[in-house]
Amino acid sequence: MVRAILCTGAFVAASVLLAGAMKADGLSERARKLHFSCIVVDTHDDTTQRLLDSKFDLGTRSSAGSIDIPRMREGNIGAIFFSIWMPSKVTGPDAVNRAIVQIDAVREQVRKHPNDLVLATTAAEIRDAHKQGKIAALLGVEGGHMINSDLGVLRAYAALGVRYMTLTHSGNDEWADSSTDKAVHNGLTDFGREVVREMNRLGVMVDISHVSDKTFYDALETSKAPLIASHSSCRAICDAPRNMTDQMMKDLAVKGGVVQINYHVGFLSQEFRDREKANPELNKTISAEVTKRCADNQSCQLIEGDRITREYVEQGKLPRVEFSKIIEHIDHAVKVAGIDHVGLGSDFDGANMPYGMEDAAKLPKITEALLQKGYAEGDVKKILGENTLRVMTDVQLISRELNGEKQKQESRLQ
Amino acid sequence: MRRMVVFLCLISCSCAGLFFVRCTSADDIADRARQLHFSSIVLDTHADTPQRLLTGTFDLGKRDAEGHVDIPRMREGGLNAQFFSIFITGKTLGPPAIQQALDQIDLVRQNIQQHGKDLALATTAEEIRRAHAQGQIAILMGIEGGHMIGNDIRMVRVYSALGVRYMTLAHFYNDEWADSSTDKPAHNGLTHFGKEVVREMNRQGMLVDISHVSDKAFYDALEVSKVPLIASHSSVRAISNHPRNMSDDMIKVLAAKGGVIQINYERNYLSEEYRTAFAAVAGDVSRMEEKFKKECGDDNVCIGKAEIRLEKELTGAGKLPHVSWEKIIEHIDHVVRLVGPDHVGLGSDFDGADMPDGLEDCSKLPKITEALLRKGYSEEDIRKILGGNILRVMEQSEKISKEMQAAQ
Ligand SMILES: [Zn+2]
Ligand SMILES: [Zn+2]
Repeated sequence: MVRAILCTGAFVAASVLLAGAMKADGLSERARKLHFSCIVVDTHDDTTQRLLDSKFDLGTRSSAGSIDIPRMREGNIGAIFFSIWMPSKVTGPDAVNRAIVQIDAVREQVRKHPNDLVLATTAAEIRDAHKQGKIAALLGVEGGHMINSDLGVLRAYAALGVRYMTLTHSGNDEWADSSTDKAVHNGLTDFGREVVREMNRLGVMVDISHVSDKTFYDALETSKAPLIASHSSCRAICDAPRNMTDQMMKDLAVKGGVVQINYHVGFLSQEFRDREKANPELNKTISAEVTKRCADNQSCQLIEGDRITREYVEQGKLPRVEFSKIIEHIDHAVKVAGIDHVGLGSDFDGANMPYGMEDAAKLPKITEALLQKGYAEGDVKKILGENTLRVMTDVQLISRELNGEKQKQESRLQ
Repeated sequence: MRRMVVFLCLISCSCAGLFFVRCTSADDIADRARQLHFSSIVLDTHADTPQRLLTGTFDLGKRDAEGHVDIPRMREGGLNAQFFSIFITGKTLGPPAIQQALDQIDLVRQNIQQHGKDLALATTAEEIRRAHAQGQIAILMGIEGGHMIGNDIRMVRVYSALGVRYMTLAHFYNDEWADSSTDKPAHNGLTHFGKEVVREMNRQGMLVDISHVSDKAFYDALEVSKVPLIASHSSVRAISNHPRNMSDDMIKVLAAKGGVIQINYERNYLSEEYRTAFAAVAGDVSRMEEKFKKECGDDNVCIGKAEIRLEKELTGAGKLPHVSWEKIIEHIDHVVRLVGPDHVGLGSDFDGADMPDGLEDCSKLPKITEALLRKGYSEEDIRKILGGNILRVMEQSEKISKEMQAAQ
């Protein structure tokens, strides 16, 4: 009996599994269909560093890193923000020069791949690109240090197509405090507020990833347009200063903003973060190994940093983080900030990816996981890109208003 | 000269001693000139007005007592398309040169936005025509000096993307890759990299400007460029033997490849008499200039004002001769005789040079049209000189740029 019962139990379990598998297959199908009909927007990728290497071609599938055209196609990325970045310690005209050269590198890739890429600066242009079966390439400047305290330079970036600027990177800049540096400005300086206002006027989104909490609140107060966090996750799940508290996400949402979830394991998993913290030598060893492999080649450093971290996880020195952690953050942010205020900001090619989300090709898994969690298709669509597109549209409208175009139109109508 | 005699004869014959008719006849020309001038696209390829914008106190929208260019005077002079020169001294190199150039480009763009009713940024011949049709003045941008790319070819693309449509390969000093006409040759013309820059300019639809460059750099650029060259603000060396001017041979080969020389109104470049007199007092002048630089610091407008004062003093003291605006006509006519009417245009150097008597600012431009008409030039040829020729080169540049980009 006991045996028979056991046997029956096993049979029941087997059939449940089978049904589950069938159901899962139906869901996968739905997920694929949904994912490939959506405009998927990723607001933060450090791929630009790789573009600076003349041997790297975005059009060829690469065995390293997370982003290239074939894998973006496979994962159906519809719009990608290429990050213009250099460390905070690069300042002055050198920073301007290097930023301009990176902007050019992205624009050149777009020119070299006219069948796959198109430079976009508005939500409408992203939708157009999508209709034409092309991937929209956008530009974001990651760190206010790159304007060298010069609004003219900010305007030059905007004229070249830049559509967001992260107010700081890891270090404070001349006018804003970073979340990973000692506060010196108590948030934004007066000039920092001027920068935010000028960004509003130019239609450049204000990105508060990387900035200190006080800077975030100052920017929120100053900005006439909704803010974005281009690549930040939830501090309630992983207590990193780079992540946002529930209160910050709520306040961001009230003003129409969006938090774009970052996939970096150190921002996703408290366990990972704790282990890193408990063993500071580990980071030093990784850094030393990265320097050994890459010298000062930034793109190599980012790619190898991810690879070495993986090696350490395999060796059991660091905990394994699954991609489902991304879903956990999305779900938390949705619960706290609302379904209209969450999006994707992978940090591909600039961070350590969790298992199952090694590159852009894996993105459909997010859609499937959200459906599995019971999210409505319309809500998934918002998270994948529509929320970001809405903010872009809002930012553009506000920019037009600030430029007085609205007044002109009205006077024409009268 | 022969042409003018014939023309005068025609007028006096047809007027046949009737003073009344003769008067009307003279007025007819003035009327015809006005009509022609104000219906034409008048395109000047070089004004240093951004230096005045840098002062922060100068308002392009208001008639100014000083300088040569502002919106009211542009309107008065029928000047409806103007290249503003992006200029920083050739001593500033590398990233600081890039940032300062970006700032000046932004300054021009900001001013255009502030005066949106009167001004429109133009980057193509088509956009110039559209602005003209809408009664707006087209503003274009040229970079005066290859040093502003910071020895980095990628900056050509960046400036082009920001709307810059020509680059002068060098300014008063050699840059890293091109020799200047007013410096000791260091590269024997264009370096290998300099030639690459020219090709990239072709690809980007940025006109190659050979004003300021050494003769050898000119010939090198001529050989490399797939697009006709321009001299944005140079005059005729056969009339005033200045290295900044072009020899007859240079003008001929420039024209043979479809290029255009845009006549500069600077007295030194217009008049040999002035140039030699100026050379005689050059020692005093450079001593004074050192003094101005000390007094003015980096303020180019301040230096400019002091130079004008000095020039007036020297002219008053009889040390420098007067130069009449008619010299401009002489230079234009020399080029037309040499290579025909398709290869000459206007490159005043307003706000960056000393203007001759009678052409004190851009409001005086209709005089050029009238003088050319009186000289017997056809209306069609005058339209070419006023702007048609440079528009033609811009269209060629746009076409070749498209072809080169498609071929990649
Ligand atoms: Zn980042
Ligand atoms: Zn000049």
